[in-house]
Amino acid sequence: MSTYVYGIIRASHSSLPQDMDGIGDPPRPVRVLRQGELAAIVSEAPEELRPKRRDLLAHHRVLDAAGADGVVLPMRFGSASPDDDTVTTVLAERAEHLLERLAALDGKAEYNVKANHNEEAVLHLVMADNDDVRMLAEANREAGGGSHEEKVRLGEMVTAAVQAREATDAELLQQALEPTAEAVSVGPQSTGWLANLSFLVNRGSAEQFLTAVDGLRQEHPHLELRVHGPLPPYSFVDTSASQQAEGSTAEAFGADTAQPTNG
Amino acid sequence: MTVATQQSGGGGSSGLYDVLELILDRGLVIDAFIRVSLVGIEILKIDIRIVVASVDTYLRFAEACNRLDLEAGPRKPAGLTELTGQLTESGARGKTKGALSGAAETISDAFQQSRDEGKERQGARPAARRREAER
Repeated sequence: MSTYVYGIIRASHSSLPQDMDGIGDPPRPVRVLRQGELAAIVSEAPEELRPKRRDLLAHHRVLDAAGADGVVLPMRFGSASPDDDTVTTVLAERAEHLLERLAALDGKAEYNVKANHNEEAVLHLVMADNDDVRMLAEANREAGGGSHEEKVRLGEMVTAAVQAREATDAELLQQALEPTAEAVSVGPQSTGWLANLSFLVNRGSAEQFLTAVDGLRQEHPHLELRVHGPLPPYSFVDTSASQQAEGSTAEAFGADTAQPTNG
Repeated sequence: MTVATQQSGGGGSSGLYDVLELILDRGLVIDAFIRVSLVGIEILKIDIRIVVASVDTYLRFAEACNRLDLEAGPRKPAGLTELTGQLTESGARGKTKGALSGAAETISDAFQQSRDEGKERQGARPAARRREAER
């Protein structure tokens, strides 16, 4: 029977999760496997594991609970081991590295910031900043909307201006929030946001970080910011080159070389 | 000061959407463990502002500008200041949508719609960063 692994903690972790529901239907009970100074939070792995909302949430909740009172290394969703013994073997063999990561992340949490433009507000900005756009928009309006070609031309100009604004705003966010964080991880881009930034924040500096976010909201009302945290340090647990490469690629505007990481 | 800040651990459904890619795509990977095959999550990465490359989008933007001017009045970049003032007054940190008129919501909806359509249409036009679609 295979073993699903949620995360790795210190064996001395002060509040190990008890009676927690894990993934699966019915939810599998969460257990702790100890090995030396380390422990793994595990449960039985359901036979068929799909990234369903319920299971994703269960994975996250277990890590959230474990991380509330101590440092936890969150595993990526969907990590399973053939059996318990393999888990403890991994803990023993990689103890040095895992303990190093636990020490590095102790007392820190991830805050993820996703930003969108408020569409109307950013259009106002674009019109105010670009005489060409504003003039063409007004000419079109006076012509009852303009010809198809003129509309396309205007739309193209506006699109380019909004895109440029997205890039500068993403940069602005990172620069404004980085000073209050220990580290930053640039997440992959997607349709859903113009910036996707994760910050590693000292728990003691969390208020400072959130105050900086609120400052940005007030100063730049065309930005809609969604902040999630404190989270287990998903984005900072792995120092492998692949993640860093992914971040830098996502940051580069127009890059199409990013590799899928779900391998 | 920080009360208005959304501090979700990902418990809600919208929160889950935002942290989804963190749970699925980050976190520690140990090669001795099996990473369960996760069919279907590629949709997360099917990218990326394809909307931006389409003529339909241009037309929607043009239409949005047209309506924007009608609301703000002609030759009135000052409208920007008014808008900013309103948004700030209402203390709408991250809730700017609430301060906008119904018409603005409609425009937003149109954008959202165009984005959704863009996703469906992503095979039709080459996009700058269609990395997953290449697979």
